[in-house]
Amino acid sequence: MLTAPVGLLRDLDPKRVMRAQVGGQDLVIWRASNGDISAWDNRCPHRGMALSHGFVRGNELACLYHGWHYGSSGVCRYIPAHPELEPPATITTTVFSVLIADGVIWVNTEGAATPAPVPIASQPLRSFHVEIQSEGLARACLTVAFEGVAPEQIAPGLYQLGARQVLLLENPLDGGRIQITALTDADAKPVDCAALSRWCDAVRRAAQTKRVAA
Amino acid sequence: MSRAYAMNDWYAVADAQTLARGARRTMLLDQDVTVSGTPDAPKVIDDAGRTYPAQFKYGHVWTCLGDAPRSLFDIPEAAEQGRRLVPCGVVRVKCSPLRAVENFLDIAHFPFVHTGILGSEPHTEVAPYKAEIRDEVDEVWATKISFYQPQAAKSAQAGGDTDYQYRVAAPTSAVLYKTCPPKPEAMDVIAIFVQPRSETECDVWPWMALYDDTSDFAGLVQFQQEIFLQDRSILENQRPVKLPLDPKMEIPTRADLTSIAYRRWLKSKGAFYGALTEDA
Repeated sequence: MLTAPVGLLRDLDPKRVMRAQVGGQDLVIWRASNGDISAWDNRCPHRGMALSHGFVRGNELACLYHGWHYGSSGVCRYIPAHPELEPPATITTTVFSVLIADGVIWVNTEGAATPAPVPIASQPLRSFHVEIQSEGLARACLTVAFEGVAPEQIAPGLYQLGARQVLLLENPLDGGRIQITALTDADAKPVDCAALSRWCDAVRRAAQTKRVAA
Repeated sequence: MSRAYAMNDWYAVADAQTLARGARRTMLLDQDVTVSGTPDAPKVIDDAGRTYPAQFKYGHVWTCLGDAPRSLFDIPEAAEQGRRLVPCGVVRVKCSPLRAVENFLDIAHFPFVHTGILGSEPHTEVAPYKAEIRDEVDEVWATKISFYQPQAAKSAQAGGDTDYQYRVAAPTSAVLYKTCPPKPEAMDVIAIFVQPRSETECDVWPWMALYDDTSDFAGLVQFQQEIFLQDRSILENQRPVKLPLDPKMEIPTRADLTSIAYRRWLKSKGAFYGALTEDA
C-alpha cells in the first residue's frame, strides 16, 4: 500500500478530529493541543466505538462512549469509570504512520509513511470528494475550461490551467469515490486560489454528471 | 448466521398504538411477518399465511417463530397497584440486537452520552457492584449499583445518587430497576424489548412501569426517547456491528462486569444471533 494523501493539515486544527480512509482501512486522524498529529484505526479497543466521534482533551483523544483517553502513542491513559486505576499498557489503539509534507497529511497503514514527491513549489488549495473512478476524473479535468482556456495535462494529476498549475492527489475510497487533495503554485494569490477552487468544484460536478448520464 | 437458539424466544413486534393504526408489516429474525388484530386477539402471520403464536403482554404483542417456544419471562412489577405502564414507542437502530441490550446494561457511558441527564463529569466513577449469571432462573443480574445522576427521571427535581439493578430476562430483553425519585422506598422499572429484524438491525421498544403521577404521558415518552436517540448515535458507530463474544476482541474493565456476564451467558447458551463468535 502506497502512502496516501488524506487531506490538508490546515483543515485540521489542533484539538480537532476527523475521519479518513486508506486502502479500505477506516481511520481517525486527530491533533493534540500541542499540534501533534496521529492516525489510528477508527476503533476504541474497549467497545468498538468509532474514535472519530471522540473529543480531544489536552494531548489525548477521548472516546465518546465511555471517555477512555488515549495518548499520541495510542496507549490508554485514563478510564473515567475508574479514575484511580492506572490503565494496563496492553490497552492500545492500532497506530499508523502519519507525516505532513507540502501541507498534506500522508498516511501509510502498512509501513512508514513516505509522501509522494510533489513536482511543483506548492501551497495547499483544497480537499474534496468525487464519486467517480480515476480515469473519469482525468477526462473531466480536461473538459472544464479555466477562465476560457482548455486545461492541459502535464503529468499524472498535474494540470496547466492558464498561467497556473494544479496538482490533484488521489486517494481511492470505498463505493467508487475518490478523495482529492489539491495543491497549486506557491505564488498563487488568494484570488487565484479562489478561482482554482471553483474550477475544482466544476470538475467535481462535471465528473458526477457524466457518471449519472453514463 | 445462527438462528437456532433465537427462534424459540418471544419478541415484541408491536404495541397497542401500532395495532390501532392497522396491520404492521415488519421483520423478525430475517423473516417478513405481519402483525394485526387487537390486544385481546393479536395475530402474527408470514407471507405464506402461516400463523405464529401471539400474546399481548407488557403493552406489546409478542410472538415466537420457533416450534418449541420457551415461556415468556415474567415481570411481576407490571401487576403492581399504582404503577403507570408506559410503552415508549419504537426506535429503529442499525446495530446488532445484542449490542443494543449490552448498551442498556451499561452505566459508565452515562456522563458522556447522556450528559447532564443520566450522568455528568466529574461523576464518572463506577463503584464496585455485583454481576452474576443466575443458573436457577437462567438470567443475568447486576445488583448493588449506585451512580450519581443529574436528572435520573422525568420526575427528578435534583441530582443525586441513583441505585440500579439490571435483569437480563432473555438475550434481547432486559429490565432495569432504579431509584424512584417521588417514592424512595420503591423502584421504577424500565425495560427494553428488542425486536431483532436481522443480526445487524433492530427495533427497540422501551417500556416503563413507574410511580409517577404528575408527569404527562407525552413528557415521559419524550424523556425516554431522547435517551434512546442518544444511545443510537453510539450503537450505529460500533465495529464490528455484531457483538463479539471472544473476550480478546474487546477489552473490558471492572465497570463492564455486567457486559462480561452477558456475553458469557450468551456464549454458554449458544445464543449467537447478532453475535460474532470465535469461529465466525
